[in-house]
Amino acid sequence: MARVRFDKLRKVFGRDVVAVAGLDFEIADGSFVSLVGPSGCGKSTALRMIAGLEEPTSGRLLFDDRDVTGLEPRDRDIAMVFQSYALYPHMSVRENLEYGLRKRRVPAAERDQRVARIAAMLHIEPFLERKPRQLSGGQRQRVALGRALIRDPEVFLLDEPLSNLDAKLRVHMRAELATLHARVGTTMIYVTHDQLEAMTLSDRIVVMSQGVVQQIGPPEEVYARPANRFVAEFIGTPSMNLMAGELDEEGGKARFRRNGVTVPLPDSLTAAADARQVLLGIRPEDIRITADSGEATIPAQVAVAELAGAEKYIYLDVAGMQIIARTDADSPVRGGDRVGLHFRPDRLHLFDGTSDEAKAIRAG
Amino acid sequence: MTRSFRRSLAQGRTYLLVILLLLFVGFPLFWMLMSSGKLNSDIVRIPPVWIPFLPTLEHYEELFEVTQFGRWFLNSLLVCSLSTISAVTLGVLGAYSLSRLKVRGKELLGRSVLLAYMFPGVLLVIPLVLVFTRIGLMNSQVGLALAYLTFALPFVMWVMRDFLASVPVDLEEAAMIDGASRLEALRDVVLPQAFPGIIATGIFAFLFAWNEYLFAAVLVRSHDLQTLPPAMANFASAMDTRWGLIMAASTLATLPMAIAFAFVQKYLITGLGAGGVKG
Repeated sequence: MARVRFDKLRKVFGRDVVAVAGLDFEIADGSFVSLVGPSGCGKSTALRMIAGLEEPTSGRLLFDDRDVTGLEPRDRDIAMVFQSYALYPHMSVRENLEYGLRKRRVPAAERDQRVARIAAMLHIEPFLERKPRQLSGGQRQRVALGRALIRDPEVFLLDEPLSNLDAKLRVHMRAELATLHARVGTTMIYVTHDQLEAMTLSDRIVVMSQGVVQQIGPPEEVYARPANRFVAEFIGTPSMNLMAGELDEEGGKARFRRNGVTVPLPDSLTAAADARQVLLGIRPEDIRITADSGEATIPAQVAVAELAGAEKYIYLDVAGMQIIARTDADSPVRGGDRVGLHFRPDRLHLFDGTSDEAKAIRAG
Repeated sequence: MTRSFRRSLAQGRTYLLVILLLLFVGFPLFWMLMSSGKLNSDIVRIPPVWIPFLPTLEHYEELFEVTQFGRWFLNSLLVCSLSTISAVTLGVLGAYSLSRLKVRGKELLGRSVLLAYMFPGVLLVIPLVLVFTRIGLMNSQVGLALAYLTFALPFVMWVMRDFLASVPVDLEEAAMIDGASRLEALRDVVLPQAFPGIIATGIFAFLFAWNEYLFAAVLVRSHDLQTLPPAMANFASAMDTRWGLIMAASTLATLPMAIAFAFVQKYLITGLGAGGVKG
């Protein structure tokens, strides 16, 4: 097991395609960290640099205090699960599992022992003599995990390992992965574009966009206090509602204004605000819908109410903008209704400007 | 017309075409085999003797007793094996480099390989003679094998590049993470995937060398060292063409290739298919 430290790690492809613009953070020993972001954000390149499959343009990579920047993949003591599983097609499951041990000259008796242990742990004993093409997607996935686990590596890398599975199996394997990590306790670094996977599995999430880290933190924090507009929109489904408008003041109280709609802001938010152009953010579940459009509410019109099993998504029109609210499935709201909205004041987010990098405005 | 009738009509047409093609390709082989068993007088008789009533082995006997056919055959085997093994070994390594490594000017290199392959042998043979004379490779089997590399190596590289490109990179990366060096990953993981391709290209490289006449005739002059094609050509001269001998020798020379193709047919089909359709 090891701590992984990125020291200004940077990767530029060709002359000026910046894949990773400088990673500078540390992953704690034994933790489960997800690199998450849209495709092309540099997360896979970052992972491949940890694996040694991609050479950094500059910067260093350290496992504990060992500089591994220039080491070959095989000298790093890492294991990796590929999106395609990358099982060796001409070898049986047993040979696939054993390959890394053979390369490291582990004696036959110990190899058998380890294969038996891993096979039992992942429930793949019945398939040991089969070839990968004779296995189902889920079984292949398990073998790929087994091949990585069997070596007992210092760092475990996973590159979108669940994305080739169907939805049901994906949820199942997600839970298995979490159990597995709790059991083996190895440092795991997980790359995904699926923010839900990142949220459910990780101790910490690293949100990346265009080669730059946008925010690092525990899932709850990244969700509750997104650092900028990009993170706010990327994390959470449906994503956070964002409304562009202006900061205003009335009677010493700050408020948000747009097209005649005003939202009073809590003091904690306005203390730090000095920008005039802002984005106001509110998550769908932090909006309460009331039937009457009273004094303290924001008037809105319901466009569509969508039932999604246990909950309902209400698409609303507020001052010419569409926003989404999430309610209980038994909410009586229907398309065409005029309603009043109440935003939970402690769950409001304010962003400085309207660009992707617009920083969250926080209390002093 | 019913649909099933139309379908069987189409099928019949396909069969007819295949049979015609088969006759076209197969007849010379049939004629060669039959003539090799005929008496000299029957070979050129008109109307032709299609199938010899009493086959004779006299041409085969003469081949081994009077000429040095056995030696030439072994010479051919030696030269072709040497050139094929070198071409496949070097070609696969070269193709792997072209398909995987990040080298500046890789595309240009790849294309120039094709150019080298398309270069006509006639134009190469004179420079080769000049160079070989200087370095003492004239009249040598190693020299001839080396000359065969001029077409065998580009051919192997060109075909294998596509084969290797179709082997997922993930596989060798997984192997390298598992503890293999790049060469070990190539040997343990990539080559087994490309095996049908290697067999197919190897067979073709061998076939080209086996049938090659020009280089063999110019670069190797001594009778003892000659390979089959130029040696057999001596059976025909301005004065006298020994048809029986030529047919018997041709039959025996065709045999190893026919056997090889029969054995590796399976690889040949998967191999050529995999190369043609990527992924």
